[in-house]
Amino acid sequence: MRRSMIFCLVATLAATGCGVGAEPAAAPSAGGKVTLTFLVFETPNLDAKFWDAAIARASAKVPGVTIKKLVTPNVDRTGYAKQLDASGNLPDILQSVNPAGFAQAGKLAAFTGEELKNFIAPTAGAVDGKIYQLPYNTQVIPVIYYNKDAFAKAGITATPKTYKELLDVSAKLKAKGVTPFVVGGGGADTWADMYPLTGTIATDVYSKTPDWLTRRAAGSVAFKDADFTKAAQKVADLAEQGYIDPAGLSRSYADSEQAFRDAKGAMYPMGSWFATSADNTKPPFEIGAFPWPSDDGAPVTPTFTGGGTSVSAKAADVDLAKKWALAFDEDKENNDAFVKADGSIPAIKGYVPPSDMGPVYNATVAIYQQGMKDGSIVNAFSQETGDGSLPPGLADKAALAVQDLITGKKSAAEFSAYLDDQWTKATQ
Amino acid sequence: MTDIEHRVRARAATPPPRGGARAAGRGRPSRRARLGPKLGRLALFVLPGLLAYVLFVLIPIVMTAYYGFTNRNPFNPPTRWVGLRNYTELATDPEFLQSLGNTLVITVIVTLLANAGGLLIAMLLDRATALYLTLRGMFFTPVVLSSVVISVIWQAVLRDDGLLNSALRGLGVERPPGWLSDPGIALYSIAWIITWQMLGFCVVVYLAALQGVPRELQEAAAIDGCGPMARFRNVTWPMIAPALTINTVMLLITGFKAYDQIQVITNGGPGTGTTATMAFHVVQTAFNGNHVGYSSAMAMVMLLLVASVSVAVLRTLQRREVTR
Amino acid sequence: MIDARTHAWLRPLVAVFVGAVFFLPLYLVLVNVFKPGADIVPHPAALPLPPTLDNISAVLSRPDHLFTYGLINSVAVTALSITVLTVLSAMLGHYLARSRHVLAKITLVTLLCGLMIPAPVILAPITIVLKSLGLMTTLQGLVLVNVGYYVPFGVLLFMGFVRSVPLELEEAAELDGAGKMRVFWQVVFPLLRPASASVLIFLGVWIWNDFLTPLIILGPDSGTTVTVGVYRAIGQYQSDFGSVFAFMFLATLPILLFYLVLQKNFVKGLTGGAVKG
Repeated sequence: MRRSMIFCLVATLAATGCGVGAEPAAAPSAGGKVTLTFLVFETPNLDAKFWDAAIARASAKVPGVTIKKLVTPNVDRTGYAKQLDASGNLPDILQSVNPAGFAQAGKLAAFTGEELKNFIAPTAGAVDGKIYQLPYNTQVIPVIYYNKDAFAKAGITATPKTYKELLDVSAKLKAKGVTPFVVGGGGADTWADMYPLTGTIATDVYSKTPDWLTRRAAGSVAFKDADFTKAAQKVADLAEQGYIDPAGLSRSYADSEQAFRDAKGAMYPMGSWFATSADNTKPPFEIGAFPWPSDDGAPVTPTFTGGGTSVSAKAADVDLAKKWALAFDEDKENNDAFVKADGSIPAIKGYVPPSDMGPVYNATVAIYQQGMKDGSIVNAFSQETGDGSLPPGLADKAALAVQDLITGKKSAAEFSAYLDDQWTKATQ
Repeated sequence: MTDIEHRVRARAATPPPRGGARAAGRGRPSRRARLGPKLGRLALFVLPGLLAYVLFVLIPIVMTAYYGFTNRNPFNPPTRWVGLRNYTELATDPEFLQSLGNTLVITVIVTLLANAGGLLIAMLLDRATALYLTLRGMFFTPVVLSSVVISVIWQAVLRDDGLLNSALRGLGVERPPGWLSDPGIALYSIAWIITWQMLGFCVVVYLAALQGVPRELQEAAAIDGCGPMARFRNVTWPMIAPALTINTVMLLITGFKAYDQIQVITNGGPGTGTTATMAFHVVQTAFNGNHVGYSSAMAMVMLLLVASVSVAVLRTLQRREVTR
Repeated sequence: MIDARTHAWLRPLVAVFVGAVFFLPLYLVLVNVFKPGADIVPHPAALPLPPTLDNISAVLSRPDHLFTYGLINSVAVTALSITVLTVLSAMLGHYLARSRHVLAKITLVTLLCGLMIPAPVILAPITIVLKSLGLMTTLQGLVLVNVGYYVPFGVLLFMGFVRSVPLELEEAAELDGAGKMRVFWQVVFPLLRPASASVLIFLGVWIWNDFLTPLIILGPDSGTTVTVGVYRAIGQYQSDFGSVFAFMFLATLPILLFYLVLQKNFVKGLTGGAVKG
């Protein structure tokens, strides 16, 4: 009897496997419809409803495609895409996955110039001159969002124009018992601590040498050079002076946002995506925005353009997948939705954001437009993709090392030496 | 149930010398006559379990061993044989050595603390009234919980504006420690979380052992004038030694494997590598840096370490068996 | 413990205090599952009065059925894995406990090595093996990986217990003409019931709670398990603690009940021949 039980069990095991899964497996079906998988990530702003609606709009424009939405387990979609790829399951279409590595290894399909004709920056994020991720939006990284109440209470009447003024403002806030900066990055959200450094590198390194990372790859500059180390020193000093509270390092990204809303700090250097979040969930005070100031007050506007959709070179139907990806990223309503949910500044020709956007978003876009006007656009350090970006894995290491910089465990010189060391390791 | 068990225990309590029984068994049918059924038995009893192990653990280990001698990087082909280069680099790689140290620190703390705490609490709860039975259940609950769940709970407690520090601030502590944000403390916080998770397991095992200590023995020792300490050392301690072994094995396994808590709570930080365990560092190197060859070499070092610990544990287990 | 009687009031007091401190983090989850989301951050430790089921119904009524689909998969994977594991590791453990052959010892050491290998470390090669067998992104594949990965632990537990089963019992049955298989299933295995209970509980808990292996092996399109669901919920809800806690609560409930049902045998099996509990 027991033996027959085992046989039953084995039979059940063999029989149930396919049937128990939540949904039937994806496969091209006979009716001329192609099923493509699409990897997205969910955040409080970009929730399931948002993705479903956006997918439906794009699918309406591209007949013959059925999209199967896949959701990453956390916001680190690039890490998850790598794990899926390692097991041979790279999805057909990927949302906002850093193409570094994937592109070089021939795992992604390149978009042609013709396909990119509607994009404002059709060469952004190019790898060997080819585009593997649609440059669908621009982000200003960082913008300093500030608590207008806290500024007023500390007797600050104007936003700082130079770095010296930024320090003065910080001193005044601190004297009033207000922590000047909210900087987060706890748990899996280590990346959230990068933004002050992205600011100082833009003003102190990239403004003079816009192609600095390309030179770093060629070996003609190094992190331990004086200008880069000085940029790191600025962040170390902010922490040393108590302007950045190391307590923030245990706060997740969402917690940091909440900390700023709870007035636990007066300034929040963050990517421009925070703008709509600030407009949608208003704190009890007004929020203003100003760009990260340089030493002499000359404008510097660090931005990142890209972040859109990529298509796997092994997609069930690459051409159709590309067509669908373009439809997804160019759709006016989709972009409106991205603007409203995630504060993006779409880089699609002729796109105009909805007229009912909130004040923080409008202030953010104004910073970007001013940057375009005075030609002060530079790259945003550690956000770059394509040629002239950090080697795979280095952005994560840099974000961890920034924590050392903030806690004082590494001096600026040690920080720079560490990055040089890690660069060597990452590229060997 | 109790009936069968009583019978078994009655027999097990007075076994004939083991070697004798076995020698007798071996002597009965001739070797040749038993060969056929022996192979069949081998196939039925051993092969299914072993096959799954070989396929999904041993072969992957062998593949990892092979990758360890290459520069394998799925994003940067072709893969070349590099000999021992990965291993010579590991010997001086501060990040790897740090992850090794972190793993040892966690393993040692968890093993010592959970054993000691588990024993103390077990002695405290060694009563059979409803109160103590309820408390036992409470202590065991974390063992049943997922590490992900436990990580989320403790993150809510330990982060800087978390529940613990809010309470401390309420008590007038102006700058409570950054349990997860201070690089000098975070590793110990992680070790504590794992200890908390495993404590109930140790309590339950020690309780079972304590209940096996005959009360008469305690009383006899007391009559002989032994104080509580001496009674513990001479009567209780030897009787619960097997429980110590079981707990130690379980805690070693848990310590060496520490991964989930790091992934969910600290991501290896605060700062570079302060809480990265070996398992975490291997996965990071493989998936964030794409250096599969290098991470495989790390995995092999880890395996060697684990294998030597396993052999040592096995030896202890067998020695105990002899003395028993 | 005669002199302890004078301090009889001390023991329950200390026990309750230690228990309360230990249980506090779990209390915080429990009360907040039944509290409106807006009250959690300002009053984390307050009792949920009046209690609300909003958080729980929010998780259960998700449009993507993250919890319900995950539950089906978790139950299927866990039930199949632990049943197969109990059968296979009982047989293997019995054989290794009885055999004095040097190969048996080598097998044992090899198995013990596997006991301490963290799954994430060998996960990438495991997926390669699974792919070559055509079992990647299937539940069968996940079950088989679980069996291979956890068989050492099952073997270790059963071995310890088999040693407490007298050899004469088996030999007597064999003399009566029963085959080895029948002897094992009809004589030995019933005596191993406590060990089976421990294996079922332990591996049940571990497999139910594992998140990395199912995350990678099932992939995103064959559905998830509830524990993967918890991991995903952390990212999505972020600071919506009510939803996160409710998800955790629901995901834990089945395995907690499973433990409560089997717990009587559990300690005996675990401590096996070693501790006579």
